[in-house]
Amino acid sequence: MHPIHDALSAMTRRTFFGRSALGLGTAALSSMLPSNAVAAETMPGLPGLPHFAPKAKRAIYLFMNGGPSQIDLFDHKPKLVDQFDKDLPESIRKGQRLTTMTSGQGRFPLTPSKYKFAQHGKSGAWVSELMPWTAKIVDDIAIVRSVHTEAINHDPAVTYICTGNQIPGRPSLGAWLSYGLGTLNKNLPDFVVMTASWTGRKEAQAIYNRLWGSGFLPSKHQGVALRSQGDPVLFLSNPDGVSPDSRRKMLDSLAKLNQKHFDDVADPETQARIAQYEMAFRMQTSVPSLVDLSQETKATLEMYGPDVQKPGTFAASCLLARRLVERDVRFVQIFHRGWDQHANIASDLPNQCMDVDRAAYALISDLKQRDMLKDTLVVWGGEFGRTAYCQGKLTKENYGRDHHPRCFTVWMAGAGIQPGIVYGETDDFSYNITKDPVHIHELNATILHNLGIDHKRLSVKHQGLDARLTGVEDCAAVKGLMGEHPLA
Amino acid sequence: MACSLVVASQAAPDAASAVNRPVDFNRDIQPILSDHCFACHGPDEKHRKAKLRFDTQDGVVSVAKPDKDGKSELLERILSTDAEEIMPPPKHNKPLSKEKIATLKKWVAEGAKWSGHWSLIAPKKLAPPVAGNPIDAFIRDRLTREALKPSPEAEKATWLRRVTFDLTGLPPSPSELDAFVKDASPKSHETVVDRLLASPRYGENMARFWLDAARYGDTHGLHLDNYREMWLYREWAIAAFNRNLSYDQFLTEQIAGDLLPNPTVDQLVATGFLRCHITTSEGGVIEEECYVRNVSDQVDTVGTVLFGLTIGCAKCHDHKYDPISQKDYYSMFAFFNSIDGSALDGNAAQHAPVIRKPSPEQTAKLDAARAQLATVKKQIADELTKVKFTEEATATEAKAAAKKDFVWIDDALPKGAHAFGPDGLNLAWNFVDQSVLPPFSGEKSVQLTAKGFQQVVIQQSTPHLRVGAGDTLFAYVYLDPKNPPKELMLQWHTNAWSHRGFWGENRIDAGMDRSNERRQIGELPALGKWVRLEVPIATVGIKPGTPITGWAFTQFDGTAYWDKAGVETSTPQGDTRFATLAEWAKASAADTAVPQAIRDIIKLEPAKRSDAQKKEFREYFIEYGYAQTRDVFDALHKHRDELSGNIVKIESEIPASYIFKEKATPRPAFVLKRGEYDQHGDTVTRELPKAILGLPTDAPKNRLGFAQWVTDPRHPLTSRVAVNRIWQQLFGTGLVKSSDDFGTQGEPSSHPELLDWLAVDYRESGWDTKKLIRQIVLSATYRQSAKWTPENAAIDPQNRLLSRGPRFRLDAEMVRDQALFTSGLLVEKIGGPSVKPPQPAGLWEAVGYSGSNTVHFRADTGAEKVYRRSLYTFWKRTSPPPQMTALDAPSREACTVRRERTNTPLQALLLMNDTQFVEAARATANRVVKEGGTRVSGRVSYLFQLIVCRPANVDEQKLLVDAYAEQLSYFRANPTAAQKLANAKDATPELAAMVMLASLAFNLDETVTK
Repeated sequence: MHPIHDALSAMTRRTFFGRSALGLGTAALSSMLPSNAVAAETMPGLPGLPHFAPKAKRAIYLFMNGGPSQIDLFDHKPKLVDQFDKDLPESIRKGQRLTTMTSGQGRFPLTPSKYKFAQHGKSGAWVSELMPWTAKIVDDIAIVRSVHTEAINHDPAVTYICTGNQIPGRPSLGAWLSYGLGTLNKNLPDFVVMTASWTGRKEAQAIYNRLWGSGFLPSKHQGVALRSQGDPVLFLSNPDGVSPDSRRKMLDSLAKLNQKHFDDVADPETQARIAQYEMAFRMQTSVPSLVDLSQETKATLEMYGPDVQKPGTFAASCLLARRLVERDVRFVQIFHRGWDQHANIASDLPNQCMDVDRAAYALISDLKQRDMLKDTLVVWGGEFGRTAYCQGKLTKENYGRDHHPRCFTVWMAGAGIQPGIVYGETDDFSYNITKDPVHIHELNATILHNLGIDHKRLSVKHQGLDARLTGVEDCAAVKGLMGEHPLA
Repeated sequence: MACSLVVASQAAPDAASAVNRPVDFNRDIQPILSDHCFACHGPDEKHRKAKLRFDTQDGVVSVAKPDKDGKSELLERILSTDAEEIMPPPKHNKPLSKEKIATLKKWVAEGAKWSGHWSLIAPKKLAPPVAGNPIDAFIRDRLTREALKPSPEAEKATWLRRVTFDLTGLPPSPSELDAFVKDASPKSHETVVDRLLASPRYGENMARFWLDAARYGDTHGLHLDNYREMWLYREWAIAAFNRNLSYDQFLTEQIAGDLLPNPTVDQLVATGFLRCHITTSEGGVIEEECYVRNVSDQVDTVGTVLFGLTIGCAKCHDHKYDPISQKDYYSMFAFFNSIDGSALDGNAAQHAPVIRKPSPEQTAKLDAARAQLATVKKQIADELTKVKFTEEATATEAKAAAKKDFVWIDDALPKGAHAFGPDGLNLAWNFVDQSVLPPFSGEKSVQLTAKGFQQVVIQQSTPHLRVGAGDTLFAYVYLDPKNPPKELMLQWHTNAWSHRGFWGENRIDAGMDRSNERRQIGELPALGKWVRLEVPIATVGIKPGTPITGWAFTQFDGTAYWDKAGVETSTPQGDTRFATLAEWAKASAADTAVPQAIRDIIKLEPAKRSDAQKKEFREYFIEYGYAQTRDVFDALHKHRDELSGNIVKIESEIPASYIFKEKATPRPAFVLKRGEYDQHGDTVTRELPKAILGLPTDAPKNRLGFAQWVTDPRHPLTSRVAVNRIWQQLFGTGLVKSSDDFGTQGEPSSHPELLDWLAVDYRESGWDTKKLIRQIVLSATYRQSAKWTPENAAIDPQNRLLSRGPRFRLDAEMVRDQALFTSGLLVEKIGGPSVKPPQPAGLWEAVGYSGSNTVHFRADTGAEKVYRRSLYTFWKRTSPPPQMTALDAPSREACTVRRERTNTPLQALLLMNDTQFVEAARATANRVVKEGGTRVSGRVSYLFQLIVCRPANVDEQKLLVDAYAEQLSYFRANPTAAQKLANAKDATPELAAMVMLASLAFNLDETVTK
């Protein structure tokens, strides 16, 4: 099923055996570890990858789960104001399918945003008053207003954008990156996931382990959750009564016994296991220091805002994301829930924005001032958008919006992305795309491209097909989003 | 490190043997054509280029065979240097390697011989090349050809551990090891295998593999991911393996158990196999779309598990590689598309169609309760005949009195009520006056401060609360703004505690969710003020006239004050007794608590009443209204209600399981264009792909016919796929490595003749799975030592040639079960509902929907729940148990027939630090101290033997003693650390050091490896 991996592991096995036969296998253990350790630890990814010089060494994906309302945040539609409570014209809807939450509604009253929009930065990008901090960085980001998908409900839509298929079972974006590109560091996993707290809609849509799962790829490629509760990485802490020194001694004895067994049986897997225990020990030291935000300057903490002091918030997660990529973790994904505003936009949406707005601004600014934005890709967005028409009761003060797959807004920044642009256009209703559509497969192809991967050539034979993140139909990375080539 | 990976080499099973032997079309050529050419020149008609197809003999031979000038067009094109000419085209991204080009050249030179795809040609049982065990004959024949020698036989202890794990999922006990090592009889191995096959652990172990394939889980898997009740299916699978149900019958019952003549409950439960797929009820979903996905999942799973073809590829277009057209796909789809039930699960635990299966104890209890109930009913009837009463009366229906609040609880408990508790769950009723909080009414309110799920309760109240049609129950509540509860719940007892309404988060795990037993009424009310909560009786399923005899105020966390509770009603309350029928008739004519039929009779002139009505009317009055007989009937009613409440309770505890039930008329099926649910193409009928085997003419066109087809002796795939999976289970890799794909894109078999021999033999044996396994584990091949040698490492690094015995990491379940078993913690009990051993806090909460009934994880308590085999661990599919997934267990969202096997630092952390592994180390240390003598060396060697299942050698013994000494000196210097680790106040440093040593032994590579 994984021909390349099999070949690699076979090579590794032979190499080890070769060493052992030469007598190295019984050399002093200290020389075996960790620098001589085995492939599993520093697996460089697939041969031939990256396919070309990457623009991004690493990426951070800020995932807004639930479907942020593009009309109230980025996709400014002034003409809708006059259309308040008028019916969505059939010429716009074109009979396209709706979710069964609103398909039974008697009418589809148009709902202009109640929030004020203004143009910002040199680019003059329109941003709503709900995102005052993001407004300050419009010249660093590319706002894509024309992303679209086919799925109209959360579970399939979020599974689709995160794994390339609406049906569970496929590897996630981060798993593909780990599989294709391997790991950059020896002390931390290559793909880290955080699930942040939220304050908008309490009844928040679920997320699923599969969104960072490895699907049919080996499970070592799945995202490792960095948690704000209990151990930051599962099972990281020693049991009560076991000190680091006692653990170290136990590991030394363990390694010696394993080595004895290796001398007898000579299975390279044993060597790999010795190395993994060493990596586990290093994680026990490196992770607590990673999550210790007290090492940050006051100015930095200030920039992320007061939420950064509360473990598990989006702000704290963003700062951790920066600390992770600083340590060369390849891919960090933060899931922020609560963006499913079927009703009550007036109170829930501002809360959601307050969670993420300043933190996202701080993350971009922080990366920039450390000269890391040039080789770190940042993506902000959800699984679909929201309708121009109201779901439920419509007033000028409050309203709700149903799921809308035909256009939504995502922003990207950093390595390889043209800063300060607004890409794609939608009609006056933010209903259909009128220019430069970007399918979610193309969005993913673009992310892969910036990391040096030709999405068509990163595939694995699965159930008789060459499965890849971006599906079977033809699609391409979006050239119009590509900017300078900082690493070239 | 990268430097060690530079050595480039091919590791395919046949690479080493590419020494001059004739090209075999299936082995050498077909995979190249399939991988590089079929996308444009394959079975998919719509995408076929230049009308050329290489999947048929005519097609490929016509271009490959040299023409009269000796030129082969195939070779010309692949060797071309012209970008326009060269095949495959560069933009296809699949250039041919030099080796592959050489192989194609050789094939053409040898005459371009063709044969159909091997797996679609029925297997033949060829005579093994030499005498003896046929498995060894085939394996050794190949080894000889590769100039390899088989490995010597493994140590007895090694084989015993290997086979015990393979057959039961657990290690051997010390006494089993001892007995086997001492048994010098030539039959000693057979004795062991027969013992293991007869052990009920065998079925548990086999079922675990099957449940991966069947994608069994305890939740729906999508969106809310609520609890799903179908563990009876797991129990069925365990039992089926233990009674060695023949594999053809095993499949038939799962595919079509419901269509068998007079199916048993177990045969219905077996059809749960088809229903294990993930489901949803997400708001906004389109049912038709979900229905198509559900059926596709069934078809894909059946294809992969039963006959190893990836037919899902033909969902959107003709299969690009295998001879399955889109029409074939939907013709197969048509067999499964007619379930008698909704595609949406309703977020319910029991998503119809389901079957309920009482345990023998439940049946006995129910029979007894029903018999008692019949007796009481007869007593009531008898008593009725004894009463002399002849009055007749009528009354016209007065206008019903206006409904008004009848207050049942205010300032004190109602007269005749029995309070429960305090006992942890049930707190004492604490009436507080205005010095604490001004009450809403009267002088006091009830203060309730809960930690988790707690409540105040009254029960068995007389007089009870009477309710009529349209009545509304109410209570006033005040939430402490400083410490608000997460959830409020009101519960009512009629003949059972089966009516609940709640506000806020769904945290209180009582009753079946989204039923009368647990109905969400609304969000939490505003904090810091008195609010009236209301629940219409119909909302929680209380019928008019049903006496309410108990009431509970229930909370999850926080402080609330409760006041003035009762019912808004026009029904008279209190102990009503009537001396005459006339009085009663007058009072009851407008009382909606009295059944409508009776009230209709009240209004009739006596002369107009039929005899039956007269009897009904008279008896109702005597039973419920007549003062003189009240005491007799009240007592009988109480007894009757208790019994029927008990019956309701037992019935609600009867487990149910998902089954397949066919609609009376099959649903029409269509080709779905591009696989889209709303794009109907041609109508299709139930047919099966002729390229595999047509549907037998005498077979019914339903799932039973499908089962006959798949188990037909002529079916080329079923038996091969089955034996290959068993082989994979025992050796780590199947003879066909791609055990999920026997199509042209899959890998060819490493030992085709052996695979076919086993497949035919299996079928001829009557699909006897235990016999098949017995044959394999007794073979010399399986009994080999797993040690690597320079020779076998060089030629056979992946052991595809079986020059060594199998050696690979144990599956997640085996790793955990071993620790529980060795330490003596394991509680062995077959079957039953899933259990929740502890896991780190917050995992479910991090992903779950707030309205899901699996958003909050609460670990079970008690050894019989937390120390069961891992097969019984509750499987939430969107957040599976981390102890399992860290060790490569699948999420069970989709069918998995082959697990990956990785080696990661997270596994190391799990084995060193997870609570249950630490508990196992502790229990093992205690066992060693108790059973291992008094000397350190004795204890240490006993420990090693216990965990690793062999004696330590001299070097190991020394290392262990040293390790113990190091840990001992640490714990001597840190006695509190010792007490913490050993989790005992009187723990000695010696015990703690032994815990550490046990943990070390559980972490050894050898311990986690077969």
